Amino acid sequence: MKYLIANSTAEVLEFLKEAGGTASILAGGTDLILDIESGKKKADTLVDVTRIPELKKIEEVDGFLEIGAAATLTEIQKNPLVRKYFPSLAKGCKTVGSSLIQNVATLAGNVITAQPAADAGMALSVLDPRFVLVDEEGTRECGVDEMYAGFGVSTLDSGRTLMTKIKIPLPNKNEAASFQRLELRKSLSLPMLNVAAMASIKDGKFEWVRLRMAPVGKGPVRAAEAEEWLVGKEVSAETFKKAGELALENANPRSNPLRGSKEYRESTLPVMVRRALLEIATQLNVMEG
Amino acid sequence: MKERLVTTVNGRRIERYVDPSMRLVDFLRDELLLTGTKIGCKQGECGACTIIMNGTAVLSCIMPVMKAMDAEILTIEGLEKDGTLHPIQDEFIKGGAIQCGFCTPGFIMGTKALLDENPSPTSEEVREELSGHICRCTGYKKIEEAVLKAAERLREEKDD
Repeated sequence: MKYLIANSTAEVLEFLKEAGGTASILAGGTDLILDIESGKKKADTLVDVTRIPELKKIEEVDGFLEIGAAATLTEIQKNPLVRKYFPSLAKGCKTVGSSLIQNVATLAGNVITAQPAADAGMALSVLDPRFVLVDEEGTRECGVDEMYAGFGVSTLDSGRTLMTKIKIPLPNKNEAASFQRLELRKSLSLPMLNVAAMASIKDGKFEWVRLRMAPVGKGPVRAAEAEEWLVGKEVSAETFKKAGELALENANPRSNPLRGSKEYRESTLPVMVRRALLEIATQLNVMEG
Repeated sequence: MKERLVTTVNGRRIERYVDPSMRLVDFLRDELLLTGTKIGCKQGECGACTIIMNGTAVLSCIMPVMKAMDAEILTIEGLEKDGTLHPIQDEFIKGGAIQCGFCTPGFIMGTKALLDENPSPTSEEVREELSGHICRCTGYKKIEEAVLKAAERLREEKDD
């Protein structure tokens, strides 16, 4: 195996080209190293991108919060801009593995490993993120649904394409987001379920809602039925309850010894949805928590 | 193919040719013979292999050795000074925060990183920050107490 430390985006592309598709980009490596050893993933060359200064930045640019792809979950979670604009993202980043994992793992990696219930990627998924990807052909932007190809499979080929940053549009003052997680213990445990939501509330009614849940399918699954139904509905406990029930229409949780039975998770998912919507309403001072 | 690695471990500059597929914990233990850093799960889930790299607590068992390039690494062996244990080590011993001792180096390095950043943590912060470390003997209470005691002592030493 070869290990190359890149100092610039251009150098990453050069290294990837030289390896002819047999290399893999490495950021925190908390999943990749184990996946290579178990044979789940293959790479003859690792290209370490964590020392590229441009990829470490977290900044506000033209109405977007831009998070460099090599920023660690700890750096993101502690960042004042992230905390100010997207507390639910900070919360999601803070629940991945343990602080020891968060100290090296990245948000970009959390998305690219494409585990269906990756907490940071889930919290991010409802914030309308744009992923900036660079390869030989140039630079392009991609949305959440274009990132996930299957369970643990990204559409991004880490042997050819580099994610450089994640751009999130800054919220308006009548918008807020929430991230909810059901777990056996607070750290080092996979979520049994997680739910993320973002909404705009005007005059006591939902203008729009983005609602996603996992692990109930491939990547962060949209609760499309609930989202559509919620538009124009009054912010109330009854509305949250109905939305929770509707979320089940798009969810297909399987029984899993680590995450709980299908029946249990189908009973608790509506509760998680209710909590997410209530938290948003509370943040926007529409309801009391 | 071996690659050249230059790093600093416990204040000592080290230059070696290493197999880049090696994990950092194996390099520390097998090449540098610093066996104080333990291997528990080798999956990043127990915290036994925790070391400090550039001021941050990290898991050396899931870290490729080349991540140590140009880094400052501190392991449990680097804590005592001229035969005197570090206050954190001392408080773990005095408080009975050690039983079998296997998780202890990881806990102590995690504690060191925590107290370097936050010299006056609350019980809640100690629990949260050390939640990535698993101990199967003590029940954690004595560890939490030892950390708070060590924090107090380090603050006093700083004031003197």
